[in-house]
Amino acid sequence: MPKVSTSLGKVEFKNPVFVASGTYGYGNEISELIDINNLGAVVTKSITRYPREGNPPPRIVETSSGMLNSIGLANIGVEEYINKMIPEYNHMNTPIIMNIAGSSEEEYCEVMDLVESVSSNIIGYEINISCPNVKVGGMEFGVDCDLTERLTSKLRKRTERLLIMKLSPNVTDISSIARSAANGGADAVSAINTVVGMSINVQSMKSNIHYGFAGLSGPSIKPIGIASVYKIYQSVKIPIIGIGGITSSNDVLEYMMAGAFAVEIGTANYRDPGVGNNIVSDIRKFLDENNIESINEIIGSVKVGQ
Amino acid sequence: MKIEIATITDNKLIAKNIWKMKIEAPLIVKDYKGAGQFIQILVESSWNNPLRRPMSIASVHNNEVSIIYKIFGEMTRILSKKLPGEKLDILGPLGNTFIFDDDSSVPVMVGGGVGLAPILNMHKEYLSQNNNAILIIGSRNADEHFFEHDPDNDIYLSTDDGSAGIKGTVINAMEKSIDKRKNIEIFACGPEPMLKAVKQYALDKKIPTKVSVESYMGCGIGICQGCVIERFNENQSDHSYHEKYSLVCIDGPVYKSEEVNIA
Repeated sequence: MPKVSTSLGKVEFKNPVFVASGTYGYGNEISELIDINNLGAVVTKSITRYPREGNPPPRIVETSSGMLNSIGLANIGVEEYINKMIPEYNHMNTPIIMNIAGSSEEEYCEVMDLVESVSSNIIGYEINISCPNVKVGGMEFGVDCDLTERLTSKLRKRTERLLIMKLSPNVTDISSIARSAANGGADAVSAINTVVGMSINVQSMKSNIHYGFAGLSGPSIKPIGIASVYKIYQSVKIPIIGIGGITSSNDVLEYMMAGAFAVEIGTANYRDPGVGNNIVSDIRKFLDENNIESINEIIGSVKVGQ
Repeated sequence: MKIEIATITDNKLIAKNIWKMKIEAPLIVKDYKGAGQFIQILVESSWNNPLRRPMSIASVHNNEVSIIYKIFGEMTRILSKKLPGEKLDILGPLGNTFIFDDDSSVPVMVGGGVGLAPILNMHKEYLSQNNNAILIIGSRNADEHFFEHDPDNDIYLSTDDGSAGIKGTVINAMEKSIDKRKNIEIFACGPEPMLKAVKQYALDKKIPTKVSVESYMGCGIGICQGCVIERFNENQSDHSYHEKYSLVCIDGPVYKSEEVNIA
């Protein structure tokens, strides 16, 4: 059997297929429908210091091979999260990565401090510094190298757990932001968050999303994700988690050849919450058929210009 | 709630631009709770259109569910081309059901456009156990109706142009049909302008009313948080994680009309 386990920093995962923030709830909801224990990890939706009701509807619309969303970080807030969700994780075998969003350094730090102060089996944190949909989504951090480095190092001081910074594609040079995250002490970066987009109903002459701008996800952004991972891989040493438009094992392999150590499936979960399980078994099949002993052999293996 | 690879058993035009599809889906039928619930259909396997389409259940019989749909865009056109025997990936049954405030009330069931699917379902289910239900169906003209105007049996049609039934909207038909009756409850599903008008009518007459609302949906199971409606009842936030907005897919699609903001 080929080896599909992968490591991010000091943490080993049984396979590289994770599910992305916002597409699997707080982690346990989907288990009614699908066995989620075969996934490498579940990344929770973004948690903020206080509960957030989210943006007014309409919040989503389908686009060509993708969708726009402007949810606005609707979530229960960290205190209810600690009381209600963290105990649930004791009954789950899948590692949970908690995603945190905030509007200030203090908010990110406070959320992390509260979670660190209780006992939990959360395996790590993914820090959302790239939500395009709210003023408080951390986007100001994600587009600025100095702010990214400073926030990362403040969070680094607060936790021994895996620390992942989630990066925005809505920047001029994503690799420089990734470098700042690495300099700040991040164990890994994940890329990409959604791409800023907009769509209009021609009949009503209204924007299809309440606030106009929204985040584009799905297969339409996959090439942007692949290019971003490849760029980061060329310039930064820490592992990368590839995100953007993954629907199949082939997409995962593409991301890994570009330099990803693991991936997160997003929009595809809405259509089929079990897609991750199928992808894991298809990856095994691919490795087997191609006599590849370990998935790690393909990381960054792409040949360009040869 | 299951994901089922179901089999289409029938798919035909029943009125102008309106289709009815029957689908053999034993797993979905097994979990079915009642009229008001819906299914999420994966119309095509390519990723050009990534999301499933929510469709109200129009009837459940033996191992079959049916849906009624109007050709509206690319996805419904593709759906109309599907033939008996073809497989269809569906998720369901989802959402809540129409429930009476008072079981002794006489139901007035109001459907407009394709919103009539859950209403017809409720009508059929109700009459299988009870007598006395008023059914009101509104459309623009006679071509879009597949029922007969039959006041003796409490079935009233309305058309904008008067080409069938009562001329005007469902409100005109409601005024004529329920004028003197006491102890009624309204159940409505249809386009937003219709629901708004029904809500106002019910408020004026102080009639308890439930509406089934439509929403753009991502997942259908409470994860993506995309399908929200503004809700004024802050005491019921069991599922939606927050107070102001309710997730139509799991809290709804049926709400007390005074509880939600129909845009």
